[in-house]
Amino acid sequence: MEQVGARSVGARVMRVEDPRILTGRGRYVDDVVLPDMLHAAFLRSPIPHGRLLGVDASEARRLQGVVAVYTGEEIQRLTTAAQAGAETGMNAMPNMKSPTFHALATDKVRHIGDPLALVVAESRYIAEDALELIVEDIEMLDPIVSYEDALDPAKPPVFDELGDNIYLTAAMSFGDADAAFAAADRIVRASIDVHRHQPVPMECRGLIASWDPVAEHLTVHASTQSPHMMRMILPAQVGIPMDQIRVIAQDVGGGFGLKNSVTREDVAIVAAAKDLGRPVKWIEDRLEHLATGGQAREEMADLEAAVTADGVILGVRMDIKVNIGAYPSDPFPGAIQCYTIIMSFQGPTRLQALDARSIALFSNKGTYVSYRGPWATADFLRERLLDIVASELGIDPLDIRRRNYVVRDEPPLAMLTGQPFVGVTTQESVEQAALLIGWEGFRQRQRAARAEGRYLGIGMASYLEAAPGPRVPGQEGPDVMGDETTYLSVEDGGKIVIVTRQQPHGQGHETTLAQVAADELGVRFDDITVRYGDTDITPVAIVGTGGSRAATMANGAVLHASRELREKIMTLAADVLEANAADLELAAGVISVKGSPAVTLSLAELTRIVHEEPERLPSDAERSLSVTRTFDGGSPGWSGGTHSCIVEVDMETGLVNFERYLVVEDCGVPVNPAIVEGQIRGGVAQAIGAVLLEHAAYDDEGQYVAASFMDYLLPTTDIVPRIEIHHVETVETDPDVNFRGVGEGGMIVAPAAITNAIEDALAPFGARILGQHLPPARILELTGTVVDR
Amino acid sequence: MKLPLLEYHAPQTVEGVLDLLDEHGDEAKVIAGGQSLMPMMAMRLARPAQLIDINGVSTLGGIDEQGGVLAFGATTREREAERSRLVAERLPVLAEALPFIGHVSIRNRGTIGGSIAHADASAELPAIALITDAQIVVRSRRGERTIAADDFFVSHYTTTLSDDECLVEVRMPTGPSGAGWSFQEVARRPGDFALVGAIAMVALDEDAAIDRARICLFGVSDRPVRAAEVEAALAGATASLDAFDAAASDAAEYLEPASDMHGSSAYRRHLARVTVRRALTRAAQRAGAPL
Repeated sequence: MEQVGARSVGARVMRVEDPRILTGRGRYVDDVVLPDMLHAAFLRSPIPHGRLLGVDASEARRLQGVVAVYTGEEIQRLTTAAQAGAETGMNAMPNMKSPTFHALATDKVRHIGDPLALVVAESRYIAEDALELIVEDIEMLDPIVSYEDALDPAKPPVFDELGDNIYLTAAMSFGDADAAFAAADRIVRASIDVHRHQPVPMECRGLIASWDPVAEHLTVHASTQSPHMMRMILPAQVGIPMDQIRVIAQDVGGGFGLKNSVTREDVAIVAAAKDLGRPVKWIEDRLEHLATGGQAREEMADLEAAVTADGVILGVRMDIKVNIGAYPSDPFPGAIQCYTIIMSFQGPTRLQALDARSIALFSNKGTYVSYRGPWATADFLRERLLDIVASELGIDPLDIRRRNYVVRDEPPLAMLTGQPFVGVTTQESVEQAALLIGWEGFRQRQRAARAEGRYLGIGMASYLEAAPGPRVPGQEGPDVMGDETTYLSVEDGGKIVIVTRQQPHGQGHETTLAQVAADELGVRFDDITVRYGDTDITPVAIVGTGGSRAATMANGAVLHASRELREKIMTLAADVLEANAADLELAAGVISVKGSPAVTLSLAELTRIVHEEPERLPSDAERSLSVTRTFDGGSPGWSGGTHSCIVEVDMETGLVNFERYLVVEDCGVPVNPAIVEGQIRGGVAQAIGAVLLEHAAYDDEGQYVAASFMDYLLPTTDIVPRIEIHHVETVETDPDVNFRGVGEGGMIVAPAAITNAIEDALAPFGARILGQHLPPARILELTGTVVDR
Repeated sequence: MKLPLLEYHAPQTVEGVLDLLDEHGDEAKVIAGGQSLMPMMAMRLARPAQLIDINGVSTLGGIDEQGGVLAFGATTREREAERSRLVAERLPVLAEALPFIGHVSIRNRGTIGGSIAHADASAELPAIALITDAQIVVRSRRGERTIAADDFFVSHYTTTLSDDECLVEVRMPTGPSGAGWSFQEVARRPGDFALVGAIAMVALDEDAAIDRARICLFGVSDRPVRAAEVEAALAGATASLDAFDAAASDAAEYLEPASDMHGSSAYRRHLARVTVRRALTRAAQRAGAPL
């Protein structure tokens, strides 16, 4: 373990998770084996849209080793249909029509992979054999694939009872857009398309449901980001009260937002386990996952910008469409992006007015789920728009940012939404990035390269990330995502146990929370254990780990809990040592009296006394070494930064190579710089995938055509370049807690930085990039080299 | 993604393999490296009732030089060929092509014979077999026959191998001496199947004109193809960038590659032209042409 002075916070402490995970001893849901356990497989629709006339499972039921087959009919008997978002109120937002649906298809199939039947058998092999014996009868309907399909009144609605394919509409207006457009020297227009791609965690979905009919108690082992959310959502659908449900999640192999959902498969598996009285395991395979596990980001926007002659964007009018697929995600339906994209659009700019409308549309595609920076389209739109304005006005993309981004402590002091621009370091990150990447000398190098037939491009993009972000004046206490409670105690041997409501799935919370506690308590890092992932022991949380909130919320809760616990320790130790608590010190788990180094009491001995000889503690102090502490976020600031890259495009093949990729960021005080940098690099890698490789492709007939890793191309180590990371000096906004979220920043800003660089490389061809997906074939279409006939 | 029920056999001799093929015919499938067949079975796209594992047949491995020909036993791992000094010296174009096949872990298992018998139209080794005028040796209980690569590949995953036959050896001629070779491939990511690839051989005569040229394209049709007319037209021509550019245009002109999510037919035709030009130019440079 590396230490910075005596402090653990700020050091590149090796992750305590890694020895377990890297040597194959992690305990993921598929590693859990229960006595008498059965295995499940789902029959999935091969047709995107159709009327389900019948499912004949009689032959499958006769196959040896098959225990049960459930079709939509049985599921209707065993469960109650629900609306996505019912637990969070996100099923009944203004101008919203929510469909009610079951875990298995009952009347219609609505996308490729829609579950039609569930086979439970002695093994997954037998279950898959049985799937081949089930015969479904589906009458095909016109597929709803595109925005145009969804808005076409002649096309059938995905949910008949809703009458059309409009899920939600929203309109929001900030500032005086008419005045901004009246004052503008120019109007710049662009329609920008963000394409459907998906989170693709290394571990697919999966769960084991186990029903104890005697105790009437359900235990679910799940691969989830939010064990408590699963416990909250299941009761209404499976008819088991929440207090009779325990959800356990141990190691989780990534989620990226996807595993915040409770899915139809989860409900079906729980229903089957309860019905059969035996544990049922379902482990999603990669084919199922790609088609049905969750997809994201199919959005487009018509933008109109009111611009001054020197490139300042005064106001924007924006019309957004979101294709949310068939079944909305529970509890965070894709329709909420209608609001988040508008609310996040301004970013670090001095925008004076925003007039926006948005519409969420159903289609026959996979479920739209949260994906790392769910509002990311907002950042892509803004940062592309800045470059488009720059290019139309002949201004350098660096200068346009200097002119449009806010300067700290200069007006405007708040966003149009009211959130203050407190402590923003965007301008500093822009200047540092420009300097480090050599922006000034680049144009000359670019010209020289072009003379040799080589096409280089440079790009930049900046962002602000609210995780949770500064409070709007007048707002007190927790925000919509809730505050953060943590339990902290000293246990036998003087060991510290942190019980967090976070559900780590790659973030290294076992390491970072212990780093914070080690410093605050004065105990050794190795003497701290972090417990999580069991609703029987952890504090309730709407979202376990998500929204990049752990840095501020969980670290903050642990910091304050540690201080409180330290006080308790000192008070009790003062009794034992017959000293004044104020004169005591605690370091490396040993309490000593200042100035009398010989007088010591180990935390282990104090714990033994509290547990076994409480009579030695005469004062009125509570004889307990545990605390529960709730943290409301304090006075949080912004995370943010600037990404800049140089690409080279092979104009003969359309392939893009990165010459350099650099990040200048501000996430407050990093608890563990290695983990911070890992988060950033992972996000940039996903962004490279999003722009150059990944595409959740559906053909015109609604068939999903990126069905395996042969076609859904993830970024590999030989595609992702070395990513340089630099930090700007942060502005502290809270007296104690200045750790800020860093999970999403890489993924929300990098797609724009990369696309901006590619457009710059393509400038000699006059190419304007309006679509985010840039496979090599598309690049050569943009340059006019290849005409798609 | 679980395999359907099947019967597994692991014979230790070629005769044992041939007996099983004779008995089970089209019910059976031979497996060596399993890098294509295993995922196809797991996805239930291939479902042989009988699986004949030839990894235990010790006589089927190894690389031999036999008078201007490199002979590869069917189960020779791609990685073994990649690291072979013999291959590097005698058949550098194969050495150049091998690193494009998947990744090291794939090449550690994947075999020369398996890739050729599998006959993926975008794969590297069938194209190498075609441009080297390889002979493919197959055996059955009925006897042994040798099939020219051009007669072996029929269509997507389809060859002239009969149900009772096992590919036992691939013989690749190493000549002509002094020739330059080049392997060019464009893929979305390193290790992916080719969007399009081209291989070229150029041999120069004493006056530094083109004596003979060969061009093979893959990923453009349902099997690897030679550009025979263009090869013939290049013979006798002067090696020049213009000549190769024209040859590349001609080689690509009549191709009708399939479109898919990774690129249109027009894009692939364009890549055919680019890769053929690059391959011819590089091959000629390696043959000593002053380009």
